[in-house]
Amino acid sequence: METQIPKTSAALSALLRADFKTQWRNRRSVILLLLVPVIILISWKGLIETLNKMGKNGGTFVLSTCITIGLTAIGLMGYSNAIARDRDKGVFQRLRVTPVPTWSIMGSRLIVQLLMIFLLTTFVFLIGSDYDKVTLSPAGYALTYLTAFVGGALYLGLGQMIVGLVKNAETVNSTTRLVYFVFIMVGTLGDVLLIKKEYKDFRNIIQWSPYGTVKTIIAASMNPTQWDNNATMAFLVTIAYAALFSYLGIKNFKWNTQ
Amino acid sequence: MNTNPGSAILNVEDLSVSYGSFHAVKHISFDVKAGEIFGFLGPNGAGKTSTLSAVEGLVKPQSGIITVAGYDTRKKPLYARANLGVQLQATSFQPELTVTEIIKLYAGIYCVDLTKEKLHNILEEIKLEGSASKKFKELSGGQQQRVSLVIATIHDPVLVLMDEPTSGLDPQSRRQLWERIEAMREKGHGILLTTHSMEEAESVCDRIAIMDHGNVIAIDTPQSLIDRHRNDPSVISVSRKGKITLEDVFIGLTGRTVRA
Repeated sequence: METQIPKTSAALSALLRADFKTQWRNRRSVILLLLVPVIILISWKGLIETLNKMGKNGGTFVLSTCITIGLTAIGLMGYSNAIARDRDKGVFQRLRVTPVPTWSIMGSRLIVQLLMIFLLTTFVFLIGSDYDKVTLSPAGYALTYLTAFVGGALYLGLGQMIVGLVKNAETVNSTTRLVYFVFIMVGTLGDVLLIKKEYKDFRNIIQWSPYGTVKTIIAASMNPTQWDNNATMAFLVTIAYAALFSYLGIKNFKWNTQ
Repeated sequence: MNTNPGSAILNVEDLSVSYGSFHAVKHISFDVKAGEIFGFLGPNGAGKTSTLSAVEGLVKPQSGIITVAGYDTRKKPLYARANLGVQLQATSFQPELTVTEIIKLYAGIYCVDLTKEKLHNILEEIKLEGSASKKFKELSGGQQQRVSLVIATIHDPVLVLMDEPTSGLDPQSRRQLWERIEAMREKGHGILLTTHSMEEAESVCDRIAIMDHGNVIAIDTPQSLIDRHRNDPSVISVSRKGKITLEDVFIGLTGRTVRA
């Protein structure tokens, strides 16, 4: 009798159900990931008004910061640690001996993360609108969702690169925390320098760092009419970063820790 | 399952596996037949797990041909894996998922139609109906092994691979697992298991292969191996109980040195 291999769509659907359940059971850590953007949204309410008085768009500044920091947390703290843990426990090896293509195993994980990005962005929009009274045009909302996914791809790629280069789950955990902390510091420093218009070289470095390019495209997409060449360049650099990190992450990734 | 009893369902020919400059498996050949329990014995580092990993498709062999139910594992990996059930040495499932969810996940992956009644029967059969909503990490070692075996056979594969399935189990759980393995043989499954337990090999295996330093140094039924080597000086010198056992043959052939 001819062997029938299971349909990839059916297998992917089963994987997705399991991965969504796993994510749901880890909702406490998801809430913690969303907590930092929420704290910023609430505590920076006064800053929005200050920036508006300075002639800058305070709402865009705060919302884009929140989404960028949330994306950093999803890619670095959420995705990479979950992958490192499951690799360490042999979950991937168990799945790899089944007749499903390996891309579907990781594809399912990534789809869950895309939903996380969607939730984060929606969450920021809702609190931004309700608490900070910051609203965007329909095109602004739509374009920001798109750039959030592009920015998310950069951070998921960075997370993938870390689990590709570092095998031990605990080392992955500490490395991602360190990188997350550095990104937050770079972002905060960059924001201060951007406001003050001083230290041009530092500003340039930060602006074209993975944090800076993502923040630039998200901020620009919130006001589509003001999308300029700088935003287009940042968009292309973000894609280049995402491609580079993903390439290194996939090339060096090992499915087991031995 | 559609196999003829006695027909080879796993063929391994001239298999070599290397990790860098270390040759873990060196040009070995063997087969496993339908309705047969084939044991793989060997000291630590002999190459048993590497051989199993090559059959499972988890490591890429340097040379050799492996076919499962006639499908080349390199040319048609998904077809070969569809005929394969695997119980890994350190089997782990997502710790957040419950027993029921794990069974549903793998039933979904293999496109097995799992009705409520069928699921209930499975849980009843492995005596876990009361633990259906427990998470995998909350189960005892024996319970985890039972779930793992259910997953390995949920799609009724022609070949089941088991890497040290009774390691860490108490005598009751071990006996129960042996009965399950024997029941699978009665249904016509071919079973390839690795073990360090000579008692297990003698009790349940129809044929065994002894591996050492990446080579298969003997293949036969347990009794034939004992009969063939009972007069070997190296075997007699390690005998402890006055009569030659499979363990004496194993140590006689592989040496007394403890492997790292």
